[in-house]
Amino acid sequence: MHMKEKKLIQLILHLFLIGALVIVALPMVYMVSTSLKPNGALYEYPPRFLPDLNEITIENYRYVLGQGKFYINFFNSIFVAVCAVLLAALIASALGYVIARFQFPGKNILFSFIVLTMIIPGLTLIIPQYQLAVKLKAINSLVGLIPFYTAWTVPYSTFMIKGFVDNIPRELDEATYMDGGSIFTVFVKIIIPLAKPGIASVSIFNFLTAWEEFPWANTVINDNLKRTIPIAISGFFGQHQFTQWGYVFALSVLSLLPILLVFIFCQKFFVAGLVSGGVKG
Amino acid sequence: MQTSKKGKFQIGLLLLPGLLVFGIFTVYPIVKLFCMSFFAWDFGSISGQNFIGLDNYREVLRDSYFQVAFVNTMVYTLVTVPGQMIFGFLTAFLINQVTRFQVGYRVLYYLPVITSWVIASLVFKYVFNTEGLLNYFLVNIAHIASQNIRWLDTRWSGLWIAMFLGIWKGIGWNMVVFLAALQTVPADLYEAASIDGAGAIKKLFHITLPCIRGTILFALVMLTIGGFNVFTSVKMITGGEPGHKTDVVLTWMYHKAFSTGAFGYSAALSFIITVVLAILALVQFRMMQQKT
Repeated sequence: MHMKEKKLIQLILHLFLIGALVIVALPMVYMVSTSLKPNGALYEYPPRFLPDLNEITIENYRYVLGQGKFYINFFNSIFVAVCAVLLAALIASALGYVIARFQFPGKNILFSFIVLTMIIPGLTLIIPQYQLAVKLKAINSLVGLIPFYTAWTVPYSTFMIKGFVDNIPRELDEATYMDGGSIFTVFVKIIIPLAKPGIASVSIFNFLTAWEEFPWANTVINDNLKRTIPIAISGFFGQHQFTQWGYVFALSVLSLLPILLVFIFCQKFFVAGLVSGGVKG
Repeated sequence: MQTSKKGKFQIGLLLLPGLLVFGIFTVYPIVKLFCMSFFAWDFGSISGQNFIGLDNYREVLRDSYFQVAFVNTMVYTLVTVPGQMIFGFLTAFLINQVTRFQVGYRVLYYLPVITSWVIASLVFKYVFNTEGLLNYFLVNIAHIASQNIRWLDTRWSGLWIAMFLGIWKGIGWNMVVFLAALQTVPADLYEAASIDGAGAIKKLFHITLPCIRGTILFALVMLTIGGFNVFTSVKMITGGEPGHKTDVVLTWMYHKAFSTGAFGYSAALSFIITVVLAILALVQFRMMQQKT
């Protein structure tokens, strides 16, 4: 009897969770289903949630993939995101390590500034950053995006990685010093290997940030061939009087694939990063 | 600690790239922005900017467009922050109770979080189209509305699309954060409460919520910052229309800066938002600390 009761409760819980999940998933399913509809059906009335089985088509995907632009935009996004992520990981690990382990003049000011910049809405700095980009000739330049993305992600990354370094026992440092190792040796042989889960989780978030970044890239990049994927998507939208929703959503689905892959393969790091933040907070 | 010359040199070398990037691309713009906010600084006056003290701040605070955008941002934050937290917590609470498929639920509920703002905004715009799916459902299937709602024609209905999107996209993040917190609550506390005859609701309010107070505060601060950062969704869904009634502070700032070239005004606006946000974060910290 008791077992039966427990099973019933479990069943009800699952029903609730699945029901809520269906509602949460509706917009995503609608996006995929729209991308599989023939273009003529996009402005039909009444609108339908799913296309008929026999009208499912990949013509939108064929169109998007048939444009050379797509591969360039895709490569641009990957290039910018990977460079920014690697730079941020290196810089933030070094900063996090030094702040966690050593005393130096101005340390408290530096750390307060890092926390402060996490509060300031990033977009408020867009005017001086735009002027800076003009001075550095980083306007309409793909490479020019990288230092800005790196700079935006460094404060949060440093904050998180410092937290991970704090949890690495200092005895390991001492042992390395005894063996004649230097501060660099500790960084390379102890800190980076042991803080790897933290660095990885931070890097995944940074990749996501750079991959989907819209306002800045949309402001500084004009050239069609230098656009990143989000700008390309918004370019499809409202380009003509009638938005070609089929193309928009086909491109959207394609642009989500790399993120999905990263998410599925690095799931444990996603959670590790969030959890350490949540518990510390 | 090592204080040798070589040690100091190495510390400096490790700090250098971070200080350079941080200094040039973040600190310098902050200082520049602060200075700009005291000058009459427009597209036309690039060469000769005049110091005008607090005039920009006065202009922003008196501007009825800014006031509308500010109220919109506050409403957006006041609706989406509790919305995300409540749904996120409920989901986490349920997932914490089930014995199977926890990981599966966690992954699936998290998908909206990793969907980019641009894509999510376009999907919502399409769903909320006047001839779109949602109106068809409301009018012809559920019979809640008598005719198609023109969502993009009024201030609040336009903002509601952005708020729905904000809540929808944030549930997953809250779920993961709260789930992790729930799993740290010691099980013997619940057992002791059961022996004392406490019901489920009593356990929730007297054990669960107090135990995860730190996480609630963390989520509150992060989400409030997120609420003030809302930009892409509003820009893509309503674009501030009709007549800037649906603008939030950042879309209004962006419009003033890049469509009218009022840099001094936008700089002052940016500082006002930052100060408000810093005060809010501080107040939230204080409130939570007092409750303990």
